[in-house]
Amino acid sequence: MNSYQFDWGVIPRSLPMMLQGLILTVEISVIVIVIATVLGFPVAVARMNRHEIIRWPAQVYIEVFRCTPLLVQLLWVFYALPALLGITIPAVPSVCIALTAHMTAFMAEVYRAGMQSVPVEQIEAAEMLRLNRYQILRNIIVPQAFRQQIPTILSLDISLFKDTSLVSALGVAELTFQGNILASQTYRPIEVFTTVALIYFVIAFPATLITNAIEANIIRSSKLGAPPSGGRLRKLLPGQRPTITVTPPVVGAGAKGVLA
Amino acid sequence: MTLQEPPSTDTIATDTGTTADRPASLHFMEAQGLSKAFHGRPVLKSVDFAINAGEIAVLIGKSGSGKSTVLRIIAGLTKPDAGDLDMMGERVVIDGEYEKPWRTAREQVGMIFQSYTLWPHMSVRENLSLAPSKVLKESKSEIDERAHQALSEVGMAHHFNSRCTQLSGGERQRVAIARALMMKPKLLLCDEMTSALDPPVAAEVLSVITKLKEEEGIACILVTHDMAFAAKAADRIAYFESGVIAEEGDPQKLLFDPETEGLRNFVAAVRF
Repeated sequence: MNSYQFDWGVIPRSLPMMLQGLILTVEISVIVIVIATVLGFPVAVARMNRHEIIRWPAQVYIEVFRCTPLLVQLLWVFYALPALLGITIPAVPSVCIALTAHMTAFMAEVYRAGMQSVPVEQIEAAEMLRLNRYQILRNIIVPQAFRQQIPTILSLDISLFKDTSLVSALGVAELTFQGNILASQTYRPIEVFTTVALIYFVIAFPATLITNAIEANIIRSSKLGAPPSGGRLRKLLPGQRPTITVTPPVVGAGAKGVLA
Repeated sequence: MTLQEPPSTDTIATDTGTTADRPASLHFMEAQGLSKAFHGRPVLKSVDFAINAGEIAVLIGKSGSGKSTVLRIIAGLTKPDAGDLDMMGERVVIDGEYEKPWRTAREQVGMIFQSYTLWPHMSVRENLSLAPSKVLKESKSEIDERAHQALSEVGMAHHFNSRCTQLSGGERQRVAIARALMMKPKLLLCDEMTSALDPPVAAEVLSVITKLKEEEGIACILVTHDMAFAAKAADRIAYFESGVIAEEGDPQKLLFDPETEGLRNFVAAVRF
């Protein structure tokens, strides 16, 4: 390590290839996130269905994709699915299918957790006002669940963006794959992969800050506590939790009434 | 629906005939032989209970004695194991099963819960207008006018455009009452709606119930531990003990001269 001579001069020459890889990384991420965000909802609804014939397939699907490694899922879709279906799927659509299936399972669980966190009394109050199941779902459960789960959804999206690096194992020319090629061509793996890591960070970190800002805003607006003290940047940094204000109990409750 | 002169609710006739033979009750609402068990543990044991239009009935008793279960059965939120329920001259529950007339009858019932059940992502105005617009298909101007009126009745007209999260506990409960009023109920069920409020705020909320009875003729069944309110405003009190109504009748009689030892101990314990 001590004898290693850094040569950052290779990086400017490598940037066009890296950017090419980054574009594919972003494309795959956006496609997968958009489709999984939509598909996660019906899977979550099926997962909570009272009929077992609907609930169980949804649960099995979610557990299979939650409990197996993403790399194995990518390899399975790429190699096994064509063998079973008898059709050849190109690498990029193949990884998009695998990542979407994986992401949908996680999204479904996030949606389910959000929907089940809405207090049952709110739903019963809606039933007493004669709103039907769809109206309750559409107007009361989903808006609250989605709003509450936005930080988790954004965290999943950030993880997905980073996890796209795994598709390099299948020869998809995204950012990590391009970095691998450049490292072997230039014999400068440290400089190349440091830059690759930096590119991932430059995109993921602002997204993390946005997530934290949204989370802080949700906590603040739900009146659970006051906003954290300090400057704007400090508020956004991870680990800064709003302080919870505890109202002391009212003294004298249950004292003598008017008829004593 | 026009009802005949209802019988007194002080004593409820116990008809031994079958459900099919028995004519529907003349009370606004009458429950007969309501029973319910949760996980094999009976919480209601053949309870008979009735209320007339414009009456305030207060259900008291220890936690787990079956008061809230009665309300939830009347509201249709909990299905009884057995018993009948008549409402507005129609038999809506027969031997524990909700029948077709229930769909119409439930339109007359509103409910206020213990926890603040306003939808926090909506404003006061949106809370009040959602059901009338989706269910009653009323126009926006009509809804706004009625919402103003309902909020005025509970003293909250100035909060028409407020966010629910800006309101105090007492204000939220008053908005919850206004929201229930938007569906024009004839019977309000209130399940410990003031138990999370300070005594003065609770008194304010409960005064709204009295006002609704006097001005709108809305009947109300309240589960409450506020004995001062029960003594002052209730037309009738029912004391629940271990899933049965152990004592029922005039508030002054029950609270100041209880017959059963259970009620004597309960009244002494709450020290109103």
